[in-house]
Amino acid sequence: MKKYLSFLLLMSLLATSCTKEVKIDIPGYEEKLVIDGQIEPGSPPFVILSTTKNIYDPTDLQAYINSFVSGAKITVSNGVNTVVLDEICSDNLPPGSEALISELFGIPTENLVGIKICAYTTFDTSIWGEIGKTYTLKVEHEGAEYTSSTTLKTPVGFDKTFWKPEANFPNYGLGWARLSDPGSDYNAYFMQAKRINLDADGNQRDPLFKTIFNPAFNDEFVNGTTFEFAFDSPSSYEDDNVPSNVKGYYKIGDTVVTRLSQLDPQAYEFLEKKYVQINSAGNPFAVPTNIPSNIKGGALGAWIGYSPAYDTLIVKP
Amino acid sequence: MFKNLLLIFSVFTASFTFCQNQDTSVISNEKFSISGYVNSGITGEALIGAKIYVAALKVGTISNNYGFYSLQLPKGKHSIEYRFTGLETTIREVNLIEDIQIDIEIGSKMQQIDEVQVNAKKGQNVESTKMGQIELEVEKIKTLPAFMGEVDIIKIIQLLPGVISASEGGQGFYVRGGGPDQNLVLLDEAVVYNAAHLFGFFSVFNVDAIKSVNLIKGGMPAQFGGRMSSVLEVQMNEGNNKEFKVKGGLGLISSRVTLEGPIVKNKGSFIASARRTYIDAIMKYAIPKTSAFYGSSYYFYDFNFKANYRLGPKDKVFLSGYYGKDKFIYGNKEDDFTVRMPWGNGIAAARWNHLFSSKLFMNVTSTFTDYLFAFNSTQDEFTFELASGVRDMGGKVDFSFFPNTRHKMKWGAEYIYHTFTPTSVSAKQADVTFDTGLAQKLYSHETAFYFQDEFDVNEKLRINAGLRYSMYHFVGPFTRYIKTDLSNPDSTITYNKGDVIQFYDGWEPRLSVRWLLNKTSSIKAGYSYNYQYVHLTSLSAVSLPTDIWFPTTDIAKPQEGYQVSAGYFKNFKDDKWETSVEVYYKGLKNLIEYKDGALPSDNVNDNTDNLLTFGTGRSLGIEFFIKRTYGKLTGWIGYTLAKTERKFQEINDGNYFPAKYDRRHDLSLVGSYKLSDRWTFGAAFIYATGSTLTLPSSYYIQNQDVLLNFGSRNSTRMAPYHRLDISATWYGKTTKTKTNPEGEEIVVKKKLISNWSFSVYNVYNRRNPFFMFVDNDGDLAAGDFKVTVKQVSLFPILPSVTWNFEF
Repeated sequence: MKKYLSFLLLMSLLATSCTKEVKIDIPGYEEKLVIDGQIEPGSPPFVILSTTKNIYDPTDLQAYINSFVSGAKITVSNGVNTVVLDEICSDNLPPGSEALISELFGIPTENLVGIKICAYTTFDTSIWGEIGKTYTLKVEHEGAEYTSSTTLKTPVGFDKTFWKPEANFPNYGLGWARLSDPGSDYNAYFMQAKRINLDADGNQRDPLFKTIFNPAFNDEFVNGTTFEFAFDSPSSYEDDNVPSNVKGYYKIGDTVVTRLSQLDPQAYEFLEKKYVQINSAGNPFAVPTNIPSNIKGGALGAWIGYSPAYDTLIVKP
Repeated sequence: MFKNLLLIFSVFTASFTFCQNQDTSVISNEKFSISGYVNSGITGEALIGAKIYVAALKVGTISNNYGFYSLQLPKGKHSIEYRFTGLETTIREVNLIEDIQIDIEIGSKMQQIDEVQVNAKKGQNVESTKMGQIELEVEKIKTLPAFMGEVDIIKIIQLLPGVISASEGGQGFYVRGGGPDQNLVLLDEAVVYNAAHLFGFFSVFNVDAIKSVNLIKGGMPAQFGGRMSSVLEVQMNEGNNKEFKVKGGLGLISSRVTLEGPIVKNKGSFIASARRTYIDAIMKYAIPKTSAFYGSSYYFYDFNFKANYRLGPKDKVFLSGYYGKDKFIYGNKEDDFTVRMPWGNGIAAARWNHLFSSKLFMNVTSTFTDYLFAFNSTQDEFTFELASGVRDMGGKVDFSFFPNTRHKMKWGAEYIYHTFTPTSVSAKQADVTFDTGLAQKLYSHETAFYFQDEFDVNEKLRINAGLRYSMYHFVGPFTRYIKTDLSNPDSTITYNKGDVIQFYDGWEPRLSVRWLLNKTSSIKAGYSYNYQYVHLTSLSAVSLPTDIWFPTTDIAKPQEGYQVSAGYFKNFKDDKWETSVEVYYKGLKNLIEYKDGALPSDNVNDNTDNLLTFGTGRSLGIEFFIKRTYGKLTGWIGYTLAKTERKFQEINDGNYFPAKYDRRHDLSLVGSYKLSDRWTFGAAFIYATGSTLTLPSSYYIQNQDVLLNFGSRNSTRMAPYHRLDISATWYGKTTKTKTNPEGEEIVVKKKLISNWSFSVYNVYNRRNPFFMFVDNDGDLAAGDFKVTVKQVSLFPILPSVTWNFEF
């Protein structure tokens, strides 16, 4: 009883806060264009256009689909070649590109039937990504013009990746990586991972790369040093096969591919602030942070050049 | 510099010449001065604000913060009244043929009488030049509702017109649209940088150790400076110099005990007060050993000490100290994760009062203030440490000169040596130490001189005019980081110890004028100009110990501000009801905010001021105040209609936006009713327009992630805040009947006196908004995605009980 009482007291003192859903006026909404573009070495540029949505707008699938924008003119240049990107829409896909569109929008292939969403890319290899080159982007839409540029930096890979078991769960543990930062240059990193071993149905466990916790970091404090850090398994959180108490860990038998991309400073700034915002959602102590776009002309989003280096880690005791 | 000093000197000389001319006329009328200290006959402590009055001549004065008074009267016989609220008036007959010193004790044991009969402050609000000044009586505060049973002077101050609280239960307070860093909080004349415990829910002022509280929110006299908006002067009790006393209180989450007594009877006394919370003990009990969170705890404690000793009729010394610490520990065994967060203040003040003559009083003070906040987290082999703090060492000298009944002059000088450590960070993983640069310390000298004179031009017109001159030297050692774009290395400039990096100075004129319309009403007006050389940088939406104190540097300019105010004061029913209406306008410049998107980690290998943006502010308001000062029912109604805005080049496209503490309406009703000698009831009601915050007005998708786009700064207003608190205090009997050796029944005073204090916070359980956020859940492509706006409320109805005792 005494214990119950003190527990009640504690509850009333420390856990008295309550959260409820409210509807209050949030002024200042104006629809803006969102540019989500990327390029990497050996791949074509990809751009998706959409618009911002009012906080109180409907959020169903139809609303999501309607937020994408088609009919824009997008030009990418590397200083030598300038190419206007093709608009590829889900209702008129070139054979074999369904999987790509599905991956880009996160919509299963079967659901793409009967809806029209578009992305912009090109099969003209003269504008595909090359290390060391700077790519400028120009988007013309409804009379407005938006521009940006990004540089593909030289990739920097890990010295090695390894795995350490957790004391309480010897079959599970975080992945670890050793990185030697090149001292001479500014380096900004962005890290993703996926498990490529097969599940019971014979499918690859993680079809896509996902970002680890705090994926963007730069060498401000580690310039020229060699250091190690742990990384989680980002796909495990939504994987029903992973028990809840070992979410985030890799299991013995997993094969993990890591992707460590180099970014230019502006792309890094966007991604750093993006993950700060995602990780501080609902935290009263966080400053309301708008993510700085590297696009000029008033659009949101970013045009990002990723220069990845890959590593494979086989999880074994 | 030399020119400035010369100017001060000439102001001084001019004033003296003026005074001497006055004096000549005084001497020709053969006036003499009567001066001395007024002390309580019960405890022997100095009485602040006692009234010394000669009814036949209608002249009088008020004792100062040390109980000292000085009054000039014509040669001859006089009947002098010494009055203090709650104590029996003492009348002294004197035959004045020379300057004399009368140290007097008023009120004696067993003679505490009803304040209805004596009210030293009667009519003061109409008569004085003071505007926007409110004194609180600690004994009265004790009968008002207390949050979790802890009587809290800051929470009471927040109920006054023109003053609002930073957040639910918070200690931060905003005066007339000024920031929380713009309040000069003084404990026995030493600056308190962080007046809060428990993330702001409790104040550092232990009410048992406090003697008086005075808030100045407008018309700041020249003797005060260094902050722009207000002065909160808190004086500690001196301790009973007649007998030893123990008092204390036992509450649900904290207890306190005070010991006081004479060092040498009637010459010197001491008081020591301690307080501690025991949430940690409860948590230890409530969190099972098997829990991952076992070891998490929180507590705070504080300790007040004061001693005084009278060296002779002309000299008195005081020593005051405060030390308090908060410690928050969060542990999660599963993740091998621990956070330790200690923070606290250490404050010491030594003072010496000296009487050069019956007309000239001097106080010399030396102060030391240390505020430190630390954060330490460890996860597996990774350790991160952060510390931030301020250390001030200073001294000041103040002279009070009473040349004649028409003039009260003050002048003095003040010096503070500041050492700021905005952030020092270290990070380590196993054997690898990360390069976080050297801990930056910033050093500066702050100096000020002032002169002020309060004089009666005629029966109706009284003027309090003052001038303050302040100087600030930002000195080395210091490393200035010059930021370029992210991909290029920073360049630095290094300054050596003692190098003057930047110098600022400024004149601060102060003026208040009172025009007496009749015995019960007056009009007042005031103007003040202030410089403030310290800043508080706040990243969060709520006031937190993580807010960083930052000095003026070559980049961060001193804050500057002026206030003009005017008011009408009227008393009714023999001064039982005091009313006033005051209007004010305040202009502020060189205010600071973090640039959009600044992150605390950016402080590392950088100067904090590189992350700041500078702007201006303005505030306009009207305050209505009705106070019932004595009788069975006492209390006040305050209403403020105000508008506070800020303007920063880099925020909100350079347009004005509402400050986060902009409240259009602010109403408070506070009352205490004494039903009998055994029961007193209290109630407080507050209604305020919701505070502002910045919420996302839209969202967008990037790489299948939902990202938020915030609307313009502080454009959203939360729901109005309102709350009712009630209290009841039940006093145990103070006397008992005893049979004496002769067999007669006599009434004697009980050794142990106690009371039970019951409070209910938020009686009708209003869910007031503390903060709001936008939450999103579900999968966009699956169609179950949802965006919602959520409101977090802190305290529901909270009853509490405290047992207070004294023996």
